[in-house]
Amino acid sequence: MNENLQVQIKKRLTDGKRTADDARAGFMLDLAFETRAGINILFGPSGSGKTTTLRAIAGLVAPDEGRIAHGAQIYFDSTMHINLPIQRRRVGFVFQDNALFPHLTAAQNVAYGVAARERTTRARALLAQFGVEHLAAHYPRELSGGEQQRVALARALAPAPAVLLLDEPLSAVDVPTRARLLDEIDAAQRTSGIPFLYVTHNHAEAVRLGTHLILLHEGRVVQTGRPLDVFNAPQSASAVRAVGTENLFAGRVVEQRPAEGVTVIETNGLQLEAAYNALSIGSLITLGVRAEDIIIARERLTQTSARNVIAGRIREIMQTAEQTELIVDCGVELKVSVTAGTIKALDLRREAEVFLLIKARALHVVS
Amino acid sequence: MIWSAFKVSLLVVSVATIITSVLGLALAFVLARREFRGRELLDAVLTMPLVLPPTVTGYYLIVLLGRRGLLGAPLYAWTGWTITFTWQAAALAATVVALPLMIKAARAAIESVEPKYELASFTLGKGELETFLRVTLPLARRGVVAGIVLSAARALGEFGATLMLAGNIPGKTQTMPLAIYEAVISGEDRRAQTLAVALTLVSVAAVYLTNKLSRAKSAQAA
Repeated sequence: MNENLQVQIKKRLTDGKRTADDARAGFMLDLAFETRAGINILFGPSGSGKTTTLRAIAGLVAPDEGRIAHGAQIYFDSTMHINLPIQRRRVGFVFQDNALFPHLTAAQNVAYGVAARERTTRARALLAQFGVEHLAAHYPRELSGGEQQRVALARALAPAPAVLLLDEPLSAVDVPTRARLLDEIDAAQRTSGIPFLYVTHNHAEAVRLGTHLILLHEGRVVQTGRPLDVFNAPQSASAVRAVGTENLFAGRVVEQRPAEGVTVIETNGLQLEAAYNALSIGSLITLGVRAEDIIIARERLTQTSARNVIAGRIREIMQTAEQTELIVDCGVELKVSVTAGTIKALDLRREAEVFLLIKARALHVVS
Repeated sequence: MIWSAFKVSLLVVSVATIITSVLGLALAFVLARREFRGRELLDAVLTMPLVLPPTVTGYYLIVLLGRRGLLGAPLYAWTGWTITFTWQAAALAATVVALPLMIKAARAAIESVEPKYELASFTLGKGELETFLRVTLPLARRGVVAGIVLSAARALGEFGATLMLAGNIPGKTQTMPLAIYEAVISGEDRRAQTLAVALTLVSVAAVYLTNKLSRAKSAQAA
């Protein structure tokens, strides 16, 4: 029953607002991918075509050419002149800012897409599944951002769609609520058993939820795979750019020193000190550090506030017009971004021995 | 005479308001949500009765629908019936003159509804008509109701085009504004006064109501 979504589309994006001399006037969406069971992440920087792709699958915009199918059901096929209306695609859609109907209560919103005879029972069951049953009679404006998004998830799942599309569903939700919502989205996928296609440019969300990641850059698929694999080993220059500056690696909590405000994490034989968090010892986690938060030095500094001073060796120096990035191997491979001037001043070259300085605060637990 | 003018006006305004509301809403939706060549031209043509002198609008209606008119002549030849000097003519004149107000108000109200709500309804399996009735219309209702009130008031006050197309036949096509005119020229001041006060009260009530509706709307948006 877990049918996959096959997408192969081309679309020239001209939204009228872009003028002819705009650098992106000829922006072309030209991509192909297939989803896997579970939660699929459509990842890429803004302007890479994520939202347009999602809208093409839902039928909110028509591609210029190509084919979109879900199992045996063809949604769109330019050569066969098929363009199934939105209403018949059975595609659930969760909008970025939830788009709950403001004139209907939470229960009425969820019941909106359900046939009359099972309307009330289904709405109540779904509100209960997302823990917002007590808010059934409230209007959207009376709900918090997290509650609104829970109702929006319930509403999208109510008509029993064949696939659920989520367009950055957490962007309007405050940070403390996000972690719980991620758990609920994960649980909802397991309960429904349908494939989810989840658009985001947030690494933490991608790693936490994704079973499969599709990396987009300038309208093309540049890499696919498990989220951590793609983030840690981008295979091309455009993949590197699309992945962004976040270093992500797996680790294990080995020691807690709350008095010092420090949690010690081990990764590939390396002991790192991160800002204290309440995880139990032995927990397996994903750590993140941004490339621009790492300081590079030629000799081992001792009198420094940085809790982590790590020896490493430069594997690669990648220079583009806008930035310079080093890949440093220190047990794990870390991206470090520096200015072009630093390369000269410190005489950095491949295979050079360097030391990386990372503040405990800059090391954050992603999931 | 006051009573019969009131009855004619009630009939004319009721019919004109019903047609204006339904037709105006449909046209407003097309103008707000469909992109096609000549959209703004259509809007301009439909707005003409708002700026033309009503006698000019009435003149065009005679040219179109009079017994020797472009559509009126074949209709007369076929059925032996002509619209001129009937209450239907008064209702038609009132409709044509009131329609632009309904279209303007309803178009603005529909355009202020964010399209994402309609898209959400589509993804929940609903067609265009059901989406319009259950999502767009409820969200645009204040502006739409304001448009209905304004166009009803305009239909009630219609004089020039009505006189051209429907004449001034007491008990048949003589509406309250026409009755005032007749009362004044025949020196029946009391009657003119009663009718004028009645129409003034209705107009004040209509403006008050539309203002209240549009204020409530902006308060809700804030």
